Amino acid sequence: MTTDSWILDMDAGPIFEQIGRNVRQQLARGDLRPGDKLPSARDLATTLSVNPNTIVHAYGELEAQGIIEKRRGLGTFVREDAPVKTMRQNMLKEIVETFVNEVRRLGVDDEEAMAVLKEAWDAG
Amino acid sequence: MLARLENVTKRYRTTEGVRDLSLDFPAGQIVGVLGLNGSGKSTMLKLIAGLLFPTAGAVTVFGGSPRGHRSRTVFLGETDTLWPWMTPADASRFMEGLYSDFEPVRFNELLDALEVPRRKTKAMSKGERGRLRLAMVLARSAQLYLLDEPLAGIDLISREKIMTSLVREWHTDETILLSTHEVAEAEGLFERAVYLRDGRLALDVPAETLRQEGKSVVQTFKEVLA
Repeated sequence: MTTDSWILDMDAGPIFEQIGRNVRQQLARGDLRPGDKLPSARDLATTLSVNPNTIVHAYGELEAQGIIEKRRGLGTFVREDAPVKTMRQNMLKEIVETFVNEVRRLGVDDEEAMAVLKEAWDAG
Repeated sequence: MLARLENVTKRYRTTEGVRDLSLDFPAGQIVGVLGLNGSGKSTMLKLIAGLLFPTAGAVTVFGGSPRGHRSRTVFLGETDTLWPWMTPADASRFMEGLYSDFEPVRFNELLDALEVPRRKTKAMSKGERGRLRLAMVLARSAQLYLLDEPLAGIDLISREKIMTSLVREWHTDETILLSTHEVAEAEGLFERAVYLRDGRLALDVPAETLRQEGKSVVQTFKEVLA
């Protein structure tokens, strides 16, 4: 797992949620894969300069969501059956919804938006 | 409960340090004690450390009087009391003589982690002395750590090193009360934020609850204390 690029935004909701979102994002993008080991709560807390309890909380939530599991004496791992596909799907939906909302606020119709989207897609 | 304040007032000759303060500090919390200068942060920590006596109310530490449990409590004050000729090795001998729970080996590890140069304190920067002073208190195996403004007036790198050491060294059964008026850097460290204003409790709240409401500890600092 890469934590170099993690930026916690203290105005963007609880830290434990931000950490959870970050892990799900990395899984959706393939930066983190089923079976991968996560840093220990203490190490991640040290890297991010946050309270170790907050990381424990975040890991607990991810565990409850069936994404990660603790293996006794070995550490915390991404579950082999982690719902990566669903996470990717959800993330895509979120991104698209944001896009649609922003476009609507501009007062642009779907046809025009799609054309620009296609253009940007082909250019990228 | 590691420490408890019940309706505590501390009056100095002409001013009041804290007024009618009631707070509980259970084991296993890192608490930010936040407020402007003169808000009563130091007074509160010194009362818990047993360095001051309340004018009214009661302070209980480990179920007894603060004085009776000095060995389980660590206090890092704002004043730099290191002798100019002292090296970290001198500091180690000094602490060993004073406290039976001081661990020289751990102290050396902390000096490495905090990158404290092994030279006389008069040849150290303010930040280096701040790191040395923190290493001295963290090398004790106490359960209640009262750190008064350890981040004040020192450079950014030193502050970051101190933060890292605190996260790494903290045991989940220990409680740290860290006072600061520079909230931004320490924000993520705090599980709970206690805001003092004019010696009174202005707000006592879990940090994640604030963020749940879309506010940071820093933002709340501005709102509560403005």
